[in-house]
Amino acid sequence: MSRQPAGCREIEPHLLAVATGEAEAVATERVEDHVAACRACRAELHHYRALEGMVRSLRGVPLHGDDATLARAELASRLADLRSRMVGFGIFASSLGPVLIGRSEQGVALVQYLPAGGSLTAHVRRLLGEDAVEDRAATEDLRVELQEYLEGRRARLDWPLDLRRTRSDFQRRVLEATAALPYGAVTSYAGIAARIGAPTAVRPVAQALRWNPLPIVIPCHRVIGSTGALTGYAGKRVELKQRLLAVEGVKTVTVPHDFRVPREAMYTLMDGDREYCVPTCGSLSTTPLSKLTLFGTRERAEAAGLAPCATCRPDLHPLPA
Amino acid sequence: MGRVMAEDAFEALVGAHHAEIRRYLLRVTARASDADDLSQETFLRAFRAYRALPAGANVRAWLFTIATNLGRNHFRGQSRRRRAYAAAAWESRREAPERADGQVLADEARARVERVIGGLPEKQRLAFIMRKMHELDYAEIGTSLRCSAESARANVFQALRKIRRELDGHLPTGTEPEP
Repeated sequence: MSRQPAGCREIEPHLLAVATGEAEAVATERVEDHVAACRACRAELHHYRALEGMVRSLRGVPLHGDDATLARAELASRLADLRSRMVGFGIFASSLGPVLIGRSEQGVALVQYLPAGGSLTAHVRRLLGEDAVEDRAATEDLRVELQEYLEGRRARLDWPLDLRRTRSDFQRRVLEATAALPYGAVTSYAGIAARIGAPTAVRPVAQALRWNPLPIVIPCHRVIGSTGALTGYAGKRVELKQRLLAVEGVKTVTVPHDFRVPREAMYTLMDGDREYCVPTCGSLSTTPLSKLTLFGTRERAEAAGLAPCATCRPDLHPLPA
Repeated sequence: MGRVMAEDAFEALVGAHHAEIRRYLLRVTARASDADDLSQETFLRAFRAYRALPAGANVRAWLFTIATNLGRNHFRGQSRRRRAYAAAAWESRREAPERADGQVLADEARARVERVIGGLPEKQRLAFIMRKMHELDYAEIGTSLRCSAESARANVFQALRKIRRELDGHLPTGTEPEP
């Protein structure tokens, strides 16, 4: 190479370009002029052209193992699997701060309160793993309904749910019992434990609701402590619970570091009954909250299909507003 | 509704590009089982990212970029790289069927080219395969290899020079055209 004249060294890249058919007109002309006078470069050009022809001929030659049929079939099944796991999510501003809604093929898979400010990407990755993609369009209808709900203009979120993120059969039973609580009603953790036939499992019920993958939609905010204290929500954000209950017409009073639902101001349903009462009816005021469901308003109790008690007549003697 | 349409479009994308991407990876890895795995992984990744792809994006070049990244990760570590080279050499020998004399010579030359390609430095090899076997343009190759179009071209030319040197005496001779 080093013995090659400078003119040949300089023309060499252009010579390759001509041989591969990529040279521009000016370069082509220069190469033609050069090889007309230089036998060595003429031979090089000839060789590179031959090489180019041979390389082109390789394109169509079958390769060993070139059959893609099996790989394609396997890809189809892995894609179907990925599709069913994949969650498209959107992040929206709401009156409760930024909220993430994730939806899979099977239904709504995730609702999460996000920390206000800061980078959400890492948080979302931790939450969802790599099978999540941002897809606002796919969750826009959910956002609209959630906003209506938070503004009190909608009492139900009739979304198909994907409960595959539940951690155990026990949690699933807790979530199903919680989902059955009517709009505008509250009961206690012990009440949920009783409803799923595990009356002593009060703390496990609280834990199961702590990991509720679908807050708001599965209304764990309607489950409170046996004293009426709200006790906790979304980490340390019990004020969100109070606001969600307020939207549904459930009054709360402020107590140190918490809120409390005042039983004495709530319409009351004894489990198993079909009639709702004022809280002083019969022995209701001494019945543990675990056996009761409380309603903030008569409208909510009646919307849940209940009739006023024929004895205490809450319809004739309503609680002071 | 939008989701369903997006998924149909993805089916079409798989249909249009899977065989080619797998063939590319087969050349790159020289092993059918690796080409199977990596081509599937290419499309699974593509599916995850598909909805974020801007309208009018060059889908084929994008798939080559994903496949190239997976191929390069696959070869991280020299021992795997050498094994692949050995496999390439073995497979091209194995593929040579019995032919007439002239054809045997041409086949031998082609097999030699394949071997030389298999032994090229990674970047040159990938650039060469994308350019010569799949006719991607240099800008597309540059995107795949995270370099400029100019650098992609330089890599292809460098590969050509090496192949040319390795084939000295094995290229068809014939009469050189007089000026």
